[in-house]
Amino acid sequence: MMDSITQKAGIIAAAAFGVVLVSSAGYSIVSAQGLPEGFKKGDLAPEPSAEMIEAGKRVYFTKCVWCHGVDGAGDGPGADRLWPRPRNFNQGTFKIRHTASGELPLFDAKKPVPGQNDLFETVTHGLPGSAMPPWEGILTEEQRLQVLSFVTTQLVKDRKFTDKQTETQTVLQLAELKAKPATDESKKRGSELVVEKKCVECHGMEGRGDGNAFNLKDDWGFSIQPADWHKCWNFRGSRQDPYNVGNIFRTFSTGVNGTPMPSFADNTTVDERWDIANFVNSLCERDALGNPLPIDPLTDKPKINFVIPSDMVEGEIPTDIGHEAWQKAPKRYVAMGGQITHKPRNFVNRIDDIWVRSLYNDKSIVYLLEWDDRTKSVAEGKLPWAPTQVNIDVKEQDPKTGEEGSIAAHQNNYTVYNDAIAIETAVKWKELPAPIKPRYLFGTNDQFPVDIVKWEADGSLRAFKGTGWDKDFEERDNYEESMKLLKGEWKDGRWYVMIQRPLGNKKDQDYDEDTFFEVGQYIPTVFFAWDGHNGDAGRKMAVSAFFYTFMNPPIPRETYIYPAVIAVGVVLLEGWVLTRRANKKKGKTL
Amino acid sequence: MKALMSLGALIGVAGLLLLAGMIFNVIPSSTVRLVEGYMPMQMLFELTCFVAGFAGLSYMMSAMGMPLSRFWQGIGFWAFILLYLKYRVYPPIPFSVRAMYGTVSLVAVFMWVSASEEDWKKFKQPIMNVLDAQTGMNKLLRYMYLVLLPILIGGFSYNAMMPKSEEPIELRTVHPAPPASTKVHGKTYTLQTSQNPYRVNPEGKYDQDFTNANIVEQGMGRLMKPNANPWDDKNQGYLKYVREGGEIFFQNCHFCHGDNLNGRGLHAFAFNPIPANFTDPGTIAQLQETFIFWRVSKGGIGLPNEGFPWASVMPPWEQHLTVDEIWKVILFEYWHTGYYPRTWD
Repeated sequence: MMDSITQKAGIIAAAAFGVVLVSSAGYSIVSAQGLPEGFKKGDLAPEPSAEMIEAGKRVYFTKCVWCHGVDGAGDGPGADRLWPRPRNFNQGTFKIRHTASGELPLFDAKKPVPGQNDLFETVTHGLPGSAMPPWEGILTEEQRLQVLSFVTTQLVKDRKFTDKQTETQTVLQLAELKAKPATDESKKRGSELVVEKKCVECHGMEGRGDGNAFNLKDDWGFSIQPADWHKCWNFRGSRQDPYNVGNIFRTFSTGVNGTPMPSFADNTTVDERWDIANFVNSLCERDALGNPLPIDPLTDKPKINFVIPSDMVEGEIPTDIGHEAWQKAPKRYVAMGGQITHKPRNFVNRIDDIWVRSLYNDKSIVYLLEWDDRTKSVAEGKLPWAPTQVNIDVKEQDPKTGEEGSIAAHQNNYTVYNDAIAIETAVKWKELPAPIKPRYLFGTNDQFPVDIVKWEADGSLRAFKGTGWDKDFEERDNYEESMKLLKGEWKDGRWYVMIQRPLGNKKDQDYDEDTFFEVGQYIPTVFFAWDGHNGDAGRKMAVSAFFYTFMNPPIPRETYIYPAVIAVGVVLLEGWVLTRRANKKKGKTL
Repeated sequence: MKALMSLGALIGVAGLLLLAGMIFNVIPSSTVRLVEGYMPMQMLFELTCFVAGFAGLSYMMSAMGMPLSRFWQGIGFWAFILLYLKYRVYPPIPFSVRAMYGTVSLVAVFMWVSASEEDWKKFKQPIMNVLDAQTGMNKLLRYMYLVLLPILIGGFSYNAMMPKSEEPIELRTVHPAPPASTKVHGKTYTLQTSQNPYRVNPEGKYDQDFTNANIVEQGMGRLMKPNANPWDDKNQGYLKYVREGGEIFFQNCHFCHGDNLNGRGLHAFAFNPIPANFTDPGTIAQLQETFIFWRVSKGGIGLPNEGFPWASVMPPWEQHLTVDEIWKVILFEYWHTGYYPRTWD
């Protein structure tokens, strides 16, 4: 019933769209006032009061100065180890707005209204994917307005928010534009439009941000990467509501100032923009049923389940991802952070999550690892260190370098190493008394080592033994016979790697060196990932927390028998209670 | 009396409406924020208001001739507590804790309904009525229970027996006992006697009272004292060191511990346990500075054996920072959160 309604709505919408298309053919898409469709002229907000500005200064020098700097030039003490760098306020260039391309964002110190105060919303919700956190709950509404009063009047130096001579406000009327339902028709039209409007040139054929990944620069000359449409929780303008299609519509309509992302308001109709927004929104990762992933309110990223279940298959484990067994296997989101425990530290990890699935049969277990990486990186020539070496000579970022030496300036200028991924599992995990895991990062010691299986983009698959966080790996001698690389493919901004390893048994494997996998047990598992174009090598990598591999046991027969027995027991109990009650009453009346 | 009771009834109705709004997501549960650090008090206060409100409500209802039986009062109140814990409290509390509160409040409700023989009889009456099945309605109910109970219990036990891959529960030592002394960069520091060399007054003497007077103010935002800006170029001594500590913090620590020292940094989402939240009164506020010095210097790898599960990704900072830098960062952390370090006496 619902389906047929939405279908009908889709057909009607499509028909309406056809009419719009025909009627607008040959005209440029601007309204009578010469404004792009969906926009209206707005007024500049009044200047904030001197008290607000003074109070804001105190907020700024407590909270903001550490990254944005004394003069708001985005050069605070934290800036050089961040990418993207903190915003330089001086030019008045702000990314997320409701105003037309090139215009100042909406800000009114007296009106903290959603949709009408861009800067206030940015401070409130933060800019996910960058170091800017949400300040809601930390600063009061008043304090957020105060600090913005200070920033817009004192630190924006090249433009003036109240100057009617130079500034205009052309405001996207997002609240008045009704979202078009995300029908298949609309999404299909959107998928054609992203090609037609050349979105894919930067965002990539699958929208993983891998098109033109090397040449894009922001207004300050720093490398910048196009958004990965599959990670909507990292959209700067997602406003802690990542699956809201309105955010995409807004960004697409207004463009992102200071970046190569233009506004498409002048060459698309509102209807076309909704189609594109619906399509882009549909690409964001969803669960098996197509529902948005649950978002953790504390981190604004998908909720993490630390157990990676592995399903059993009969016979050979399929190598084709499209195979039913893989399609049915539960997919786990593994969040990755930069490795900043050991030198060289990785302050900016370009791989921030991987997706893991697993299957097993009577002999082996297979991990399918998928992750977005905008660049396929294979080292040219021989690497200057042995594969077992962890303590390698890659220089770590100095804390204070100025813009020229900063991490942002290094992007795309690193020596390129191999992309790589590794699965670390605990050896002899059964002897570690629960809940004790091996020591993070490379195992406890010689007695409790870890087993590290590492795949590299040059096609190699190696196994190492880790015996302590500061020890080089020991290479194992028998990996070639027991491990198998089933797949190692990069396509449109995503790696697909499938690694098979034996479950382990005392006959063929060494108990002291190999991880033995057992059904129904929690086996500590950690993932490492390297992005070769980020100069990742050795310990400069992305790391996950401790996960558990859990091989789902086949369902035992007792699962069906006992509940039936219990139910029968309850029926008997009911009979007993009722007879007792009846007897008691009889006794009373007699 | 009547006026008072109707006021109570009003509160009760308003509370129920608010809760319903939060359950159906019409009202975000963050509307009236629970203030960090005062959460238990605030919750208890709210619940007290509700209890008063419900007392008024039930009085009014019986005055209007629609009394609610003790049975439904008990069940209703328990359901209210469960829903309140689930939907009102923000940030959300985990299921295991809610289950604990739920059990305690169930016991409390039972004590309430069985306070006197008469109350207990009143409470049991509806159950007995269904058992006796004198009316048609009760007969119907009785047969429904007879069929549904075995099905439900069988279903639950089937669910419970299905093999599951839930995260194993992990115990965690939050603040392990520190060693008597720790050796950093070749020098031994006795935890009981060492002092932060940068916690000084203008005369250069160790002075906790002076520095405590110059830290940020407690309360929302935790802003600096108006005339104690560490970014003032004229600063000498304490505030200058705070600024230097802040620079080190924002070059090394904020990636995990966050721009507001609340453990919500750029990389924090990937780690388990998540990085420590220094604004929480349970972390640095109840520890000595030298304890922090030990933990910062030695990191997760330096945890004693009882400090399991050893999953901490805290780096041993002696690798990256000098002793002076570590002391300055600690100074900054106390300044920025507005807490006083605990002393040994």
